[in-house]
Amino acid sequence: MRERFLTGYNDFVLPFVCGMLFVLAYCLIGMIRIIMQLPGEDRKRFFISLVTPKTLVKNIKDIFLKCLIHVDLWKRNKLLGYMHSSIAFGWFMLILVGHIEVFLYTSNLGAKALYYPIFFRYFVAETESTMKGSLIFFLMDFFLLVVLSGIALAIIKRVRSRLFGMRRTTNPSFTDLIGLYSLWSIFPLRLLAESFTADISGGSFLTKSLNYVFTEFLSNHANMLPAWWAYSCALGIFFFVLPFSRYMHIPTEILLIPLRNAGIRIVNARKGLAKAQVYSCPSCGLCIDACPMGVLKGNIRDTTVYLNRQIRRNNESRIEEISDKCLLCGKCTAVCPVGVEGDKLRIAQRSIRRYNFGPDYSNIDVQNEVRRCNKFVNGNNNSVSRPDSHKLLYFAGCMTALTPAIMQATESILKKSGTEYEVMDRDGGICCGRPMFMAGRLEEAREMVRKNTEIILGSGADTLLLSCPICYRIFREEYSLPGIRVIHHTEFMNELISEGKLKVRKGSTRYVFHDPCELGRGCGVYEQPRSVLSAAGELVEAAKNRRESICCGGSLGSLTLGFDKRKAMTENAVANLMSESPDEIVTACPLCQATFGRYSEIPVEDIATVIDRNSK
Amino acid sequence: MMDFGFKISPSSTINLDKVDLEKFTRLHEIEPDVYKCMACGSCSSTCPAGRFSGMSLRKVILDLQRGKEKEAVAMMKNCMLCGKCTMVCPRGINTRHLILSIYRIYAEDEK
Amino acid sequence: MKENIVIIGGGIAGMEAASQLLDLGYKPIIIEKSDHLGGHVAEWNCLFPDMTPAGDVVKNLVTRSAGANIFLNTEISFVNKLKDSYNIMLSNGISIITKIILVTTGFSLFDASKKEEYGYGIYDQVITNKDLEHWFNTGDDKRVGDCGMNAVGFVHCVGSRDEKARNSQCSKVCCITAVKQAIEIKQKFPEAMVYCFYMDLRMFGKKYEDFYISAQRDYGIRFIRGRVSEVSENIDGKVIVKAEDTLSGKPVKVTLDLLVLMAGMVCCKDSTKVANMISLPVDSDGFLKSRDNVTGIIEAPKEGIFYAGACTGPKTVPETLAEARAAALNVHLYINRMK
Repeated sequence: MRERFLTGYNDFVLPFVCGMLFVLAYCLIGMIRIIMQLPGEDRKRFFISLVTPKTLVKNIKDIFLKCLIHVDLWKRNKLLGYMHSSIAFGWFMLILVGHIEVFLYTSNLGAKALYYPIFFRYFVAETESTMKGSLIFFLMDFFLLVVLSGIALAIIKRVRSRLFGMRRTTNPSFTDLIGLYSLWSIFPLRLLAESFTADISGGSFLTKSLNYVFTEFLSNHANMLPAWWAYSCALGIFFFVLPFSRYMHIPTEILLIPLRNAGIRIVNARKGLAKAQVYSCPSCGLCIDACPMGVLKGNIRDTTVYLNRQIRRNNESRIEEISDKCLLCGKCTAVCPVGVEGDKLRIAQRSIRRYNFGPDYSNIDVQNEVRRCNKFVNGNNNSVSRPDSHKLLYFAGCMTALTPAIMQATESILKKSGTEYEVMDRDGGICCGRPMFMAGRLEEAREMVRKNTEIILGSGADTLLLSCPICYRIFREEYSLPGIRVIHHTEFMNELISEGKLKVRKGSTRYVFHDPCELGRGCGVYEQPRSVLSAAGELVEAAKNRRESICCGGSLGSLTLGFDKRKAMTENAVANLMSESPDEIVTACPLCQATFGRYSEIPVEDIATVIDRNSK
Repeated sequence: MMDFGFKISPSSTINLDKVDLEKFTRLHEIEPDVYKCMACGSCSSTCPAGRFSGMSLRKVILDLQRGKEKEAVAMMKNCMLCGKCTMVCPRGINTRHLILSIYRIYAEDEK
Repeated sequence: MKENIVIIGGGIAGMEAASQLLDLGYKPIIIEKSDHLGGHVAEWNCLFPDMTPAGDVVKNLVTRSAGANIFLNTEISFVNKLKDSYNIMLSNGISIITKIILVTTGFSLFDASKKEEYGYGIYDQVITNKDLEHWFNTGDDKRVGDCGMNAVGFVHCVGSRDEKARNSQCSKVCCITAVKQAIEIKQKFPEAMVYCFYMDLRMFGKKYEDFYISAQRDYGIRFIRGRVSEVSENIDGKVIVKAEDTLSGKPVKVTLDLLVLMAGMVCCKDSTKVANMISLPVDSDGFLKSRDNVTGIIEAPKEGIFYAGACTGPKTVPETLAEARAAALNVHLYINRMK
């Protein structure tokens, strides 16, 4: 390779160079701001995680697998995965190989390093020795072809998204469209430009062949420059628009992954991690199909992708509307390929809402409650305590009071298994705090957490049994109960059965298990209820289950969705459960049970009721 | 003060002519279902906060419409937002939204 | 007169209409899915407000309608719409071609176990109004104790006026039924305290208010204005009912030996099934939709289809009988017009 021009410069590189410098500066400042916005402790933890070998390796691996290969999308739909990874990985390889090429063939780069790897072919001419680099030529053409195939798929996807497993896609904003069209045009223009120069600079199967075609009717080399200009302009436009379009997700995700791996949680509604998540949203719209509210068309614009867009625009009234409507089922979080936590983001938005006044629980006398529940404290225990037995405290929860069958069955199971227990809220207790937490009133929720903690610690129990997943989640996430094991009744029954303390008869009933949002996605409990149910009958699965289970529609998460607006969601969730025509719907949440009970044609029961009926 | 043998105490009559419903109108705009309440008392009897404090959402809704905002606001301070009232309400009122809206519209230093 | 008239449902509405049509010289056909005539009334003990034995009412109607063609244990398999008539295929293999259908499919009792918080099917001391009538009739129900009935409660509006139960309409007859049953319980257990938990008492009918006054004054039944929200069980196996006494503004709690749920009227599935077969519209309350709710309650929006009784909404027995007679007359006039 030899340089064609003494200066190694042409004006056409300017749009690209300006655009790139702009983007780099923007991202650098943005990254510093986000890191500075983290609470001091989190920032420290972040920096430590960056130099810890284990997280370092995980960061690199995640960035490679998620940003370039898009493994999550591959799992969802092969075509969708290929489309994304062909563009991302292909482009990355073009840049990488381009740099290798430049460093192999030129010396004294200087400022040329800014644009040479991109426009190398314009500035050089092929020599005899170049043949050694035919592999590089081939690779460059190959990856260009890969990217072009991805772009072709992207164009098809805009018209036929169903082929990619997506029923609905996001409505792009104006800047998104500019970014989209400039991105689409970058690579065909690059092909054009490189093909024009292929007879001078060399090329491979793609560019060389096209060059032969072009020379047939456009033999004049003067046509070369406009193509390079167009290529550079497309890049420039894309870079200038990038920070204001969804393509900001490309640089932001590289920051989000280490932040997440450092174990940082959303604290501020708009700053720090929240900001990183919002800007990491690629507007892919996977959350639109996932959202249980989507059965009503009017709710489509209230999905997480639109929340992120409105947060970026600071559109406060829409932010409030979107955050308050959500059921907080967490399914958007489960399907999000970049890890935007739609539910936590919304709770954070709710937490900055201003209220004129709020609850105050100082008048609740905890001591009274402690005295009522302290069966296991020495001196209060009349029954003979066996050493192998649990000292179990059962917290049924507010909702369970309205589904007495669950409470009755759970107590019956406790008796059958010979467990020593005390009910903490037989006559109603203090709420676990999760509903308040979901409303974004975190301090009020923590006050309830403190009150309950005092009662539980004062009870002398070593196990806390819960039958409501709403309670279970906050007990796992916000309570600190040293020496006390917190357990959901599905897990407890599973242990009793496997330890042989509870004998279950297997019947022929076909049960379908509905994963409650708070138990499944919230606490990761999927296997235990299934194993328990399999002991009592035949287990069939819903069309969408486990991480992708559909919210019953009764969730306390939504603040504004009224009762009449939830019917369609429940009916949709019931239809999902009916796909294998089971005899009975079984769930493990009192709220799900009550909600499904209203609209289901077949019986709906809690898992405890089923097991109690089938055991001795 | 001279002793007339009787005292002048504020009238306990609720004068509907003088009740200022400006805030209640705002509340109704945000949560129109507040007018659907038929005062059945389900919310109050199921309320776990009621056990500790005598909180009654039915009373709060009534008090707000009668201009007795101070009583209502005091009672609202006990709510745990657990959502049982939403579950039992036969009229399907979104009580949690109603409660949060009251926190936003009304204030503690009301008359 | 050889015009076929098909009456779907052999309850009191169907029988009353049939007997009137017989008097007018027709030979109507009654299709009844169960093995006996009389529907819900046949399972009742006494009827308000005069404590008329329900058995007598049914027996009288059965005698009067005996001349009709009656198919018991028969359901409608499908209906074909012909040019100006219907071909009705019955489950016993018989097919009938008719121009006139009188729908008297009635209502279903709300499934009280759907309101789980009231504990029907969970606690032994919780029964429904129908279970109580069954006990009045037969004395056979383990849940109703013979002795030691210290306190009995009645919960009004179970599954009616309740959007959560998907029935926002008032079932109309439960208030007076609760008063009636409360009196009957008090007559059987004079020592027992009897409570009625109501939201609004709707004493709209003839002599209902007198009945209510008598329940208060003569029987000392306690009326508590507040809807029950939760029912739980205590260690002695009694149920504890929680409500708010909205008149005193205080929560109330009472321990009961028996809790009777006044399950409301909902449209029965068979009505909906028939409506689907003949493409009849269903109203927003789930009951069949009449041509007009003021002047045409017994007429369907379709030619030749008539309604009587609770298939168009909750009705009392006298209302149902009156509608049945009116429907019979309408059928007669319709046949005359056709000629």
